[in-house]
Amino acid sequence: MGEQPSSADTPLWAVVELEQFTTPEQTQASQWRRSLRSASTWLMGKNSAEQQVKEENELRALPEVKLAHLVPPIDWAPAAKALAQQLNDQKAPVAFFITPPHSGHVAVVSQWAEAHRFACLPSPTLSELAEGDTQWIERCASQREWAVPALERYFLRHTQGIQGVREFLERALSGRLGQGVIGCDSWAYAYLQEVIGIDGAPVFTLQSMEGEQLSRYFADIATHTGAPPQVYSTRTGNQVLAKTEGSAANKKAPPKGENKELQRLAAHCRGHIGIAWHYWRERLREPLSDDEKALWLADALAEAELPPDTGDVATLVLHALLIHGGLDDHSLGQLLPFSHHEALNARLALQRKGIVTSCEGRWQIAPLSYASVRQLLESRNYLVDPL
Amino acid sequence: MEEQQKYARLFNDIDSQALITLGVVLLSTVVLIIVSQRGLSWLGNRLHGQVRFRIFALVPLTRLLILITALAIIVPIIIEPSLRNMVTLLGALGLAIGFAMKDYVSSLIAGVVSAIELPYRPGDWVNIEGTYGEVKHVGLRTVDIQTPDDDLVAVPHLKLWDHAIYNANNGGTSLQCVASFYLHPEHEAGWVRKALRDVALTSAYLKFDKPIIVVAEEKPWGTHYRIRAYPVDPRQQFLFITDLTVRGKTVLNAAGVQSAMLPPDAALDARNAADASY
Repeated sequence: MGEQPSSADTPLWAVVELEQFTTPEQTQASQWRRSLRSASTWLMGKNSAEQQVKEENELRALPEVKLAHLVPPIDWAPAAKALAQQLNDQKAPVAFFITPPHSGHVAVVSQWAEAHRFACLPSPTLSELAEGDTQWIERCASQREWAVPALERYFLRHTQGIQGVREFLERALSGRLGQGVIGCDSWAYAYLQEVIGIDGAPVFTLQSMEGEQLSRYFADIATHTGAPPQVYSTRTGNQVLAKTEGSAANKKAPPKGENKELQRLAAHCRGHIGIAWHYWRERLREPLSDDEKALWLADALAEAELPPDTGDVATLVLHALLIHGGLDDHSLGQLLPFSHHEALNARLALQRKGIVTSCEGRWQIAPLSYASVRQLLESRNYLVDPL
Repeated sequence: MEEQQKYARLFNDIDSQALITLGVVLLSTVVLIIVSQRGLSWLGNRLHGQVRFRIFALVPLTRLLILITALAIIVPIIIEPSLRNMVTLLGALGLAIGFAMKDYVSSLIAGVVSAIELPYRPGDWVNIEGTYGEVKHVGLRTVDIQTPDDDLVAVPHLKLWDHAIYNANNGGTSLQCVASFYLHPEHEAGWVRKALRDVALTSAYLKFDKPIIVVAEEKPWGTHYRIRAYPVDPRQQFLFITDLTVRGKTVLNAAGVQSAMLPPDAALDARNAADASY
């Protein structure tokens, strides 16, 4: 999967086949830069940030109310529509829609299913997975048109925990369960592809966004209350967002080269809008003095990074969390080849560093750490996702 | 008198400036070798994956290059580097070595060969004459191997000439591990094969871009199963084998598959076979 040429006319939401997914421009350069910064931090201690036009101590985080207006939650409806267009021509009994963590496959597939009156299948319970019980598949068999928003909830990485999903996918792929759409985390998909083999089924994903598209998107979501705000980069002092003129449809993208900061962000996030949205929300700042109205984007990439000498235990915890799309402490202890308290200690250490966060009772990789975690696992030959 | 003059022509006049130059070159060589060896080893030990092995492969090569450079500077200072002088000097050295220090020099030469042919490099897991372990350091005369029991074994390089060197990962990250299971003959072999494959597929240490093979071999006392698979990092090999063994036993016990009860002589054979499979 190479890098795609940028285009100001590219739609924001495009669902493509997995083979057509391309990472944004400068993704490779972004990885090298991250490795270099990580190595220099490791060799020389906490490095000083890059030269800043605006010092961060002159800025403060935005209040929640203001953030809710400027950076509202992502509306996945356009992605669900784009998915529907792709699925219109599909004849295969099952189609997959995969995205990386925090990138919306659950919402997209749920919204698609609701719009097309497909039943969302309930996921098996943890005890059913732990015991290798396959009775839950029979419950699914009653539906002829169904959707699974999160396949990563259908297995656990142990000998009992993969039996159910294996049988379910065998039946589904052969058409015995009728017509279905499966949403799946890209890491879980990579794992199941190796363990079960799901070749032949069409696989779709969201196309990556370039810096220019991110600029348009962030300007769009901030215009619900009027004109988009002026946002400047603390690193370069340049304006970050696209200048909008009139309605969203008439917005003109700035010439190529004016989106350097957001292109940098897009490359860092591998073009995944969900991850980029978290960066945008977390790194927006306003001046301490109330006289200035302009907003600032703090150095978007100076976030929790994993040191290159991260131990094996932490690495295995991170990989298990990614493959399962997040786990609770009990399941984490069951799936790792060391004792529960070792797993708990490793998880606590990662939590203290801000690498993992809790979401609905499950520990997940924090969105702002995802890029460095992925790069670390890839450098150590662990199985990584295809996106 | 004429003989004395002949030897005097062999060596240059060593004045104080030449002595200082020699001292500086020797000191620089020693410092450079120590810094490069320790620096590269320090760096390699903190890295993972293929980069680690590339850094380690540089350790003996760097030392060899520094030594050759130092010799190229020192020799012309000490002797007049003519063909006649070189033949005379090398002939004398050859005689001395042939009688007194044959094995020592053989190891040194083998050390040079090992730096070029790379039969082992730091980070490799090798078996030389029954000594299995990770190569920690490739020195001038010996290679230091750290065994799983944490013994550091210094093996002279001259073993290269007439002994087989078993290298399990050969400068890469792929090292095959074998977990053995000895089962009672009364069992469903097809189910066991699938179950053991699942055990490997669900291991946290598994490297997915390498094959998993379950080998079954019928014996007079039962069936010997082996899972052949690769861990993500060669250093995880014992943890990986342990993980496969522990979880494999759990799965087999839960399914009521019994272990083979081996007679004493068969047990001895099986242990030898397991040792040989490493």
